[in-house]
Amino acid sequence: MMIKLERVKLQTRKSEEAVNITPAVEEIVRKSGVRNGLVNVMTQHTSSGLLVTEGIPCLEEDILTHFARLFPEDENYHHRRYLDYDGRLGFNADAHLKSVIGGISCSFPIEDGKVVRGSRQTIYFMEYDGPLERTYMVQIIGE
Amino acid sequence: MIDFHTHPVLVRELVEKYPRFGRAAREVFYIGNNFQPLETFFLQMDAAGIERAVLLPVDCRRARKDPVATNEQVAELSRMSPRFIGFASVDPLTKTAPKNLALAVKNLNLRGLKLDPALQDFDSGGKAAFAVYEAAEHLKIPVLLHTGMSWAPGSAIAPGHPMRLEPAIRRFAGLNFVLAHFAWPWVWEAVALAMKYPNVYLDTSCLYYDSPKEFFDFVFTRQIPLTIIERTLRNQVVFGSNYPRVEIKNMVHALKSLPLTEGCKNKILRENAERLLEKTDE
Repeated sequence: MMIKLERVKLQTRKSEEAVNITPAVEEIVRKSGVRNGLVNVMTQHTSSGLLVTEGIPCLEEDILTHFARLFPEDENYHHRRYLDYDGRLGFNADAHLKSVIGGISCSFPIEDGKVVRGSRQTIYFMEYDGPLERTYMVQIIGE
Repeated sequence: MIDFHTHPVLVRELVEKYPRFGRAAREVFYIGNNFQPLETFFLQMDAAGIERAVLLPVDCRRARKDPVATNEQVAELSRMSPRFIGFASVDPLTKTAPKNLALAVKNLNLRGLKLDPALQDFDSGGKAAFAVYEAAEHLKIPVLLHTGMSWAPGSAIAPGHPMRLEPAIRRFAGLNFVLAHFAWPWVWEAVALAMKYPNVYLDTSCLYYDSPKEFFDFVFTRQIPLTIIERTLRNQVVFGSNYPRVEIKNMVHALKSLPLTEGCKNKILRENAERLLEKTDE
């Protein structure tokens, strides 16, 4: 069995955005040489997310809009304080909560060297507190 | 719009090029965020609607072993983009400080002076500092001083008291002093200095608890009445974010959320900064 881990850097360009990373994940799987197994994708950050949905702009907008409704920027969060371990204030609780509710990872089977996913399923890196350079991990387990 | 208060401490290109740069960011300036490519800095400015940003170094080699960016590093970034306005920093307790400042302005095209009495461990009202103020006045550049509370570990709060600056403000009437962070918690003292002396400006980069909107609401509507800014100090307040201690967009949103007139906001977000810098354009 083979286990491969790749770290992918992604420069987000807006405060919030949904970035389709499906082609990048499929390319990493293809290059890995693994024919049958599992691919797991995970963000390394707690104010971003990873989720799977239909890859159309209206849904991208709906997700961000309704996450903002669930976790308004101006809500009364305990996180709004000086973080002595970080040298700065935490006032992005809304971004953290969106990450929690939206999830931070997804998995798909690999069959005959290809990611097996539904025809509508698209893998999104979700930026909730950008713009920043982010890192997500792609781990492939198989043979 | 102009951000008059940013620190290039997380720029990865500088971390990779200069071995001590990362240590200064982590242990002297004290910030734990990931280092980011320079592109992120510009994108952060874009997300906030900021066109140009003042880059501030701190020459604290004597007091803290490493500078928080050098004049040369700030000049290097400023040469990369016209969106950056580089300031210089010198150590007032070094005899060559006035000469070093002149060289930084003339040779590196830096356009202001940044001093931090807490981090640099000097008395902003002392004789040594006066020699640097005199040089800055001669060079026709503004001086931005850290005033108020400092987060930097190992630094004291008291050196940031704005009233220590009054003798210098009186002595160097031709030098524009920008008191950073609205000198929080000594906001009334800073306001009084700005009300009395036309060569005193205040920057808005104050955030010590809560969110930017909440903190601005407290400082600018309850700690002092907002009318002081709108009616009296509209020409002496400049926008500053203190990025990357806080994202620029959050501070811009906080400022814009205040019930000031659009004319007053324009002065704070652009016109007052342009006036402070115009002599350095000559």
